Amino acid sequence: MGQEFVLLISASIFCVGAAGFIIRRNPLIMFMSVELMLNSVNFLLITYSSFLNSLDGQIFALFIMTVAAAEVVVGLAIILTIFRTRHDLDVDHIDMLKG
Amino acid sequence: MLEIATVFDFTHDMVILVVGLTAVLASLGVVLCSSPIYCALYLIGHMICLALLFLLYNAEFLAVVQIIVYAGAVMILFLFIIALLGGKKEVQENSLHRSMALAFVFTLLGELYLSATVGPTQQVHGEIPPELFGTAKAIGLELFSKHLVAFELASALLLVAAVGVICLAKFSFAPLRRRVR
Repeated sequence: MGQEFVLLISASIFCVGAAGFIIRRNPLIMFMSVELMLNSVNFLLITYSSFLNSLDGQIFALFIMTVAAAEVVVGLAIILTIFRTRHDLDVDHIDMLKG
Repeated sequence: MLEIATVFDFTHDMVILVVGLTAVLASLGVVLCSSPIYCALYLIGHMICLALLFLLYNAEFLAVVQIIVYAGAVMILFLFIIALLGGKKEVQENSLHRSMALAFVFTLLGELYLSATVGPTQQVHGEIPPELFGTAKAIGLELFSKHLVAFELASALLLVAAVGVICLAKFSFAPLRRRVR
């Protein structure tokens, strides 16, 4: 398949993820949108590593997966702590740090 | 009469097309569903589609890692948290966010169009033999020879994340007093 198609698929997934991060107000779904964006970049790295016949892209994607897993775990723990203190999960209502 | 190779290439392209479109549709489902549990299920479908795409682009090790780490561990974590917090539907009232997101999407797509006019990347022939490309052996050789320091740093990152999560989850803080408005 041509590179334009791969670019288009990856960019569409990234755009959907970015739009979801802006639109949604449930922090869980915002995290899922971040996962979508990270995954689209992973897909692009892997396809170009196949096009360029070099494994560096796949190694990079592996590290992105590691960082994404760590980020999800810490983020979900923070969401859980916020829910424990506030009993509310709307990010528009979490403004305690605002001056 | 068609050659076998062209038929194979055509089928390969069609499979990539269908799986890629399914991945895009699943990502739309993640963003547009109002209930978090359906979003999580769509995200699992999206991860599986992406793993299939990885497999089609000669990255079999990363496809397996994608299934195990994402569709396995991360999504199970998401589902547990949704079950713990209760999957309430959210109500969408302000349309400012929506128009902002649409503008962002169209800007990104326009930039993609501009960058696609530059032209395709030239394919090069590297040092890795094609039958070894993307296997666990090739990735392990690459990882432990060229990227050893980064690999060890990644293990330190995971350890720090685990310690941080235990600190966040175990020690329950006293609830903060609501600010009086």
